[in-house]
Amino acid sequence: MKKLLVWVLALVMSFTLVGCGSDDSSSTIDKIKAAGVLKVGVKDDRINFGLQNTDTKEYEGYEIDIAKAIAKEILGDENAIEFTPVTAATRAGLLDGGEIDCIVATFTITDERRESWNFSTPYYTDAVGVMTKKGVYEGLKDMDGATVAVAVSTTSKDSIIAAADDLGVTLNFKEFAGAPECVAALNSGVVDGYTIDVTSLLSYLNDSLEILPDRFSPQDFGVATRLDDKEMTDLVESVITKLTDDGTLAKWQAAWGIDS
Amino acid sequence: MNFFKGWDKVVSEIPEFLTAFLCVTVWVAIVGTLLALTIGIVVGLMSSSKNKFIRFIVRVYVEFFQNTPILIQIFFIYLALPAFGVRLHEMTIAIMIVSLYHGAYISEIVRSGVESVPKGQYEAAESQGFSHIQSMVYIVLPQTIRLILPPLTSQIVALFKNTSVLQVIAGGDLMYVAASWAGYTGITAPPYLIAAVLYFSICYPLTCLSRYFEKKNEAGYVQKKSKDPAILQLEGGALDV
Repeated sequence: MKKLLVWVLALVMSFTLVGCGSDDSSSTIDKIKAAGVLKVGVKDDRINFGLQNTDTKEYEGYEIDIAKAIAKEILGDENAIEFTPVTAATRAGLLDGGEIDCIVATFTITDERRESWNFSTPYYTDAVGVMTKKGVYEGLKDMDGATVAVAVSTTSKDSIIAAADDLGVTLNFKEFAGAPECVAALNSGVVDGYTIDVTSLLSYLNDSLEILPDRFSPQDFGVATRLDDKEMTDLVESVITKLTDDGTLAKWQAAWGIDS
Repeated sequence: MNFFKGWDKVVSEIPEFLTAFLCVTVWVAIVGTLLALTIGIVVGLMSSSKNKFIRFIVRVYVEFFQNTPILIQIFFIYLALPAFGVRLHEMTIAIMIVSLYHGAYISEIVRSGVESVPKGQYEAAESQGFSHIQSMVYIVLPQTIRLILPPLTSQIVALFKNTSVLQVIAGGDLMYVAASWAGYTGITAPPYLIAAVLYFSICYPLTCLSRYFEKKNEAGYVQKKSKDPAILQLEGGALDV
């Protein structure tokens, strides 16, 4: 079984190598200019960040605006862009394989990841928050003894426990398979709160729910580029810096309702 | 193969797995089985009732629980109850659902068992002045029990495994603890394999028991084949009924 796997992998890799052999000399930016299109990895399911409109099939959100600004910088046209939806599992392979030129997809910057990719200056800081029924709690400090839903295999539970300990608040937890189950439990009232990144909470916010003002474990989102791709990294960095300095990012955050 | 790594870390969690197994999974299974048997026998007898309305109600109950996934049933009840101001413990909900679900199956087993008893038996009972209930309890049921024991045991095995639906409502059972730990640590195979071994340790003996009942049943109805002519002669080919 293992032997077979090795042979299959070897075969696949040999094809990949053949595919890459053509024009390794030219830089990413030259290639983008030659193709006339910037290929960006984005989220297609994160409301206000990267969301594909189910009616128009257009991508929209804060991160889409940033991606368009990068396209405008390179090609002079913000619509000379091709979006590829990515997930946590697919983004690294797509970027390293050259299918996309950069990632603007709620990609959290960590020291560990810096060893594999280049990251721009953070364009947004997300944090863990708690969503509850409207008007029940003023903040985490009121939630002593409450039951909070978390999705399995997220670290939000640790973040909120640490913050609750500081306030002298004890919480009970219920772990569900995924976000939809957590939200269903909150909406029906079997749990009192649901905790995960605020950007995710926003997707599930409705008239009867609210996000408490408490924020824990801030995480920075950055634009990721290939580690060896200095030219592209520098260009992305200059775009983000410019957008930050002239207040465009702040304006866009307000426009998408994600300013905190 | 990262998938199979992490045995050293999972070892210290085994007591927690065992606690969840014994205090939640096994407990729900035992109470659930007793309730399911009660429901199954009562409903099974009701479905052989002469009253058309009772038979209709029984049909609705059985068809509903047999033809919808148990996962939907438990999740629906879990989320719907608070709307009526009722808040039950997850274990109570699980006991309710597994006993209703498997009670439906058991009632069908009981019904088919009762129907397999020849009509002459009822008539004989009636002629001796037995009431319907009396003839059921004293004449029909004792004959059915041997027949329905194997499928009944299979249902108990299925019920035991189905207690794992507790996981979707965060019920703290073995499956929940295993999945939660796997999700948190990223160590996948070891916790699930340990859970599987624990389920197996109860279900396999039960399955063997079911097979034993089945064998015994066969022996009861089929002429014994023995190589030893002496034994063959002893038994004289008589039906051991």
